[in-house]
Amino acid sequence: MEYILHILVITGIYIILTLSLNLLVGYTGLAALGHAAFSCVGAYASSLLALNYGLSPWIGLLVGACVAAILGVFIGAPSLRLKGDYLAIATFGSGVIVYSVAKNWVSVTRGPMGLPGIPGFSVFGLQLSEVWAYLILVAIFVLLTHFVIRRVVNSPFGRILRGIREDEIASLAMGKDVNKHKIIVFVIGAFFAGIAGSLYAHYITFIDPSSFTVMESITILLMVVFGGMGSLPGSFVGAAILVIFPELLRFLGMPSSVAAPLRQMIYGLLLIVLMLKRPQGILGKYRWK
Amino acid sequence: MFTQLIINGVIAGSIYVLVALGFTVIYRTVKFFHFAHGVVYAAGAYIAYTFTISLGVHPIISFFLAAALAGIIGIIIDRLVYKPLRKRKAPNLVFLIASFGVFIFVQNLLQLIYGAQILTIRTWPVKEGHHFFGAVITDTQILILAASAALCLGLWLFVKKTKLGKAMRAVADDRIAANVVGINPERIILAAFAIGSALAGAAGILISLETNIEPTMGMNAILKGIIASIIGGIGSIPGAMFGGLFLGIAENLGIWKISAGWKDCIAFVILIVFLLFRPGGIMGVKSGGERL
Repeated sequence: MEYILHILVITGIYIILTLSLNLLVGYTGLAALGHAAFSCVGAYASSLLALNYGLSPWIGLLVGACVAAILGVFIGAPSLRLKGDYLAIATFGSGVIVYSVAKNWVSVTRGPMGLPGIPGFSVFGLQLSEVWAYLILVAIFVLLTHFVIRRVVNSPFGRILRGIREDEIASLAMGKDVNKHKIIVFVIGAFFAGIAGSLYAHYITFIDPSSFTVMESITILLMVVFGGMGSLPGSFVGAAILVIFPELLRFLGMPSSVAAPLRQMIYGLLLIVLMLKRPQGILGKYRWK
Repeated sequence: MFTQLIINGVIAGSIYVLVALGFTVIYRTVKFFHFAHGVVYAAGAYIAYTFTISLGVHPIISFFLAAALAGIIGIIIDRLVYKPLRKRKAPNLVFLIASFGVFIFVQNLLQLIYGAQILTIRTWPVKEGHHFFGAVITDTQILILAASAALCLGLWLFVKKTKLGKAMRAVADDRIAANVVGINPERIILAAFAIGSALAGAAGILISLETNIEPTMGMNAILKGIIASIIGGIGSIPGAMFGGLFLGIAENLGIWKISAGWKDCIAFVILIVFLLFRPGGIMGVKSGGERL
């Protein structure tokens, strides 16, 4: 039971990541392949504040999300001058840079040794230690993320985003500031990824750079594409299936030296099959152009 | 110290050059980022390992076999994944994401077969290197440099002198016009995948003489190959050669002052600087990073 709850908490964190990446990839048509970088920054900022300065994880969560959002400006502003494949490679590169900073800036992040003993959340002085409490907490954040992103995509602002996705030059011709919109989208996406990272850090109580590799970014992208590009219910479906399904492999009694690569192979195969058969995903409406 | 860093840079760069050249040969004909190129490089090293260590074939023979098989892997990837996408005229990003899929699939297949631990092909004893202007260079490193230079020269002659090479250049310039004059683009793409992947395989084999091999080695290789191609000027063969050497030397000079863990960081900072300020690369090709 504990185990099932744990999987659900992880699913919730991935739903936040998938929703926020969907805003970039599915709604605005930006090929952003460095999403794990934002959750990495959020997780580290929040954990370091809690460990070094004894700040409450709630403040850490907010600061972590803001730091991630600022990183979103720094990564977004220069890479948005690029398009398509080049944007993909540049954002992928920023993912590598952030990972490599987390791994090599040993005096702050403790490098590959990671940060152990990150304190958990507390509500009115009551320490959250049960998994179900975290499930409720994560569920609240999932709903919050969904609410904000739904409001964004259904607003006139969201219409401009879809305009940029469908035809950037036409949007420019209509007098829309395309670059400004792209940066705002990057910032919103990064903000929620930062929240997800912070939640993960305070829930697991240990982080190290290996949780935020570029493969992680690709996994989140797979969740977006699998569930459906530009579909919010799709993000729920995509994240849930791709977190829960590989867990079933455990019950087949495979040793982890077989199960781990097998799971990745399934992910890889799924990406290929999706691109060949249904590039917009299960519930998606938009295809890459 | 300085000479040593330059030599290390040139050796690392000569591997990047081979990966970047293979990537470029493929990119020129298909015009998308073949990310799975990196995993062909890793597969080349593992196939060489299987022949030399598990089957006891003579190293030289097994290296040629491994390079040829790497070429065949490239062709299989193209036929199974890219050709159907090409038929549907899929956009570049779909190719790139599918390529990521292939990459993840093959890398983990290698891990499943050979295990995640590092393996080593070298069975011969390590000899002390030659002293050269205050730097040390080993026999293996000289072999890597020589083989890499020979492959570069061979590719250059192939592209410039042979009929197939000319046809490849024609397809690179304009696929439709090449088709009009009777060149079958599918045949050229097949050749490009065979040659490009064999080059990647060769690079993987050469690096395995020097260092250990592990399933994740392809990621670093393709990233450096792509970066080298972009900073040289994407799609340009001299550009890939120059970009690879430039990247190798820049990385090694960079770690002179800061620790070796920052190598990847240096490479990507160089990439982003190039993408922003000189997207056409050193050779200044027009089809570089598209701007708005």
